[in-house]
Amino acid sequence: MTKRTSICSPLALIVSLTVSNSLWADDALNDSLQTHGFLTQSLIVTDHNNFFGKTSDNDHLGFTEAGVNVSYRPRNDLQLSGQLLSRRAGDTDGGKIRIDYALIDKTFAERPDRRIGARIGRMLNPLGLYNETRDVAFARPSIFLPQSIYFDRNRDLAISSDGVYFYGENRRRRTELLWQVGAGYPRVGNEEIERSFFLTLQPGYLESSSTPSYLGRVLLEIDGGRYVFGMSGAHVRINYRPGGGDVLNEGLISFAPMFLSAQYNGEFFELTSEYAQREFTFQGFGPFRPDQSFTSESAYLQGVYRFNKSYDLLARYDVLYVDQSDRHGKAYSALTGLPAFTRFSRDATLGVGWHVNHSLLLRLEYHSIIGTAWLDASDNLVPSNLTRSWNMYAALASFRF
Amino acid sequence: MSWGRIQRIPGCVDVKCLRVLAVLALLICAPICANADSDQAPLVVVNQSNPQESISLGSLRTVFGMRLRTWPNGTPIKVVVLPDNKKLHIEFCKKVLGIFPHQLRWAWDRLVYSGTGQAPQQVSTEEQMLEALESTPGAIGYLSQVPDGAKVKSIRIR
Repeated sequence: MTKRTSICSPLALIVSLTVSNSLWADDALNDSLQTHGFLTQSLIVTDHNNFFGKTSDNDHLGFTEAGVNVSYRPRNDLQLSGQLLSRRAGDTDGGKIRIDYALIDKTFAERPDRRIGARIGRMLNPLGLYNETRDVAFARPSIFLPQSIYFDRNRDLAISSDGVYFYGENRRRRTELLWQVGAGYPRVGNEEIERSFFLTLQPGYLESSSTPSYLGRVLLEIDGGRYVFGMSGAHVRINYRPGGGDVLNEGLISFAPMFLSAQYNGEFFELTSEYAQREFTFQGFGPFRPDQSFTSESAYLQGVYRFNKSYDLLARYDVLYVDQSDRHGKAYSALTGLPAFTRFSRDATLGVGWHVNHSLLLRLEYHSIIGTAWLDASDNLVPSNLTRSWNMYAALASFRF
Repeated sequence: MSWGRIQRIPGCVDVKCLRVLAVLALLICAPICANADSDQAPLVVVNQSNPQESISLGSLRTVFGMRLRTWPNGTPIKVVVLPDNKKLHIEFCKKVLGIFPHQLRWAWDRLVYSGTGQAPQQVSTEEQMLEALESTPGAIGYLSQVPDGAKVKSIRIR
């Protein structure tokens, strides 16, 4: 993977779709066909540890996100949508263009007070408040989403799956209840996912279990979204297929995240908090990976102050404990000899955003972090180089159409 | 001695607290006061052919949140809006819908970037808004007033 190709692919994606967008513009289909896209470049500097590239050394431009999507509504009860995404993120993601989602959305029944339908295809998982739009800078409150919950290790697993979802919307005078439930197969063929489970790459490979994974979310919106309360969860099953000379047996990893979300949306203030628990179970891998079960825990509290139409300020405190029965990692450190601080992260963030116009967004951000639990192993291959207390500075420019 | 300390400390804290509170109150209130506006609320406007005479606030929020696709008579709903920073759009959001432009934008972004919905049609000026409303049977938008002879009508919110 050369750096040049990886930078080119997000750009190629944008250019090709911008051109096709202009070709479509005068078409009669224009009415029900829409294309949108974005290109985001971040600049990241860390004093210790690496996040999306060798950011503590001299590689500060390793994080680029680009996407283009098309949606077409041939009939009022039918929508076809797809998005291509390219993402460069240090050594964890090489910028390869991939299908982020591709789905058919069919509405079975629609009335002003209710709507019921189904989506089939590859869908972004409705987890928490931000999972579906986590790669779109304009839809994030900050350069990086709270990493305790939306961490980018095993992100492919969290972000989308291939399957079927049913959805419904029920409305009353002041409230709206939005629900989605579905079954499908998550995307698992990624080295980073393997590293996040086993620490190092194994001779075998991971694949979706033949038993589908389940997922669901319920959101309650009050007064047109002034207050939002949500609950979402999933149960994901992944099989490990051993390779030649493997010390691991065929095993099963099951992963059950559960999210609670709450948000207040005022004219100037927005207050958001989410809590997540993830239960991990490892079974059948044999003596080199004894059966194990642990629960990780994360939460953040975030305040946004919009001091005029174009500017916002953000403050957030975000914590992650990999194992809630060993929050400070002492037992883990005694067992493995690895630093205890790799098992937790506490991140205090301050940020400022400038919405220059509809198409351009600029942000600056400072993170003061203790612990390295959400750092990618690919960016930090030598555990002894990790530092407990570190700082991160970031800037972002995002363009959309 | 101890009496003096007890009196001094609360007094000191009070003055500091008040100063901090006053500054915070000013910061919070300044934008609210600056935006206070006694103008009439924008009108909800549809194409003349639309049989709808009124709409509930809940339905109106759902329509502008791009989550209701069809009028009761089966015509597709076409939402037309002005850019987020236009005064008429801000007034419409705040005074008619009772929500804020950034909330609508986030709702649209969530639909557009997850493939589960579409964005409204955006026009640059009120004149273009009128044109779009006149030329599209299922269109809904907003105007500061309905010009005489225009092929649109305003509908009541119930």
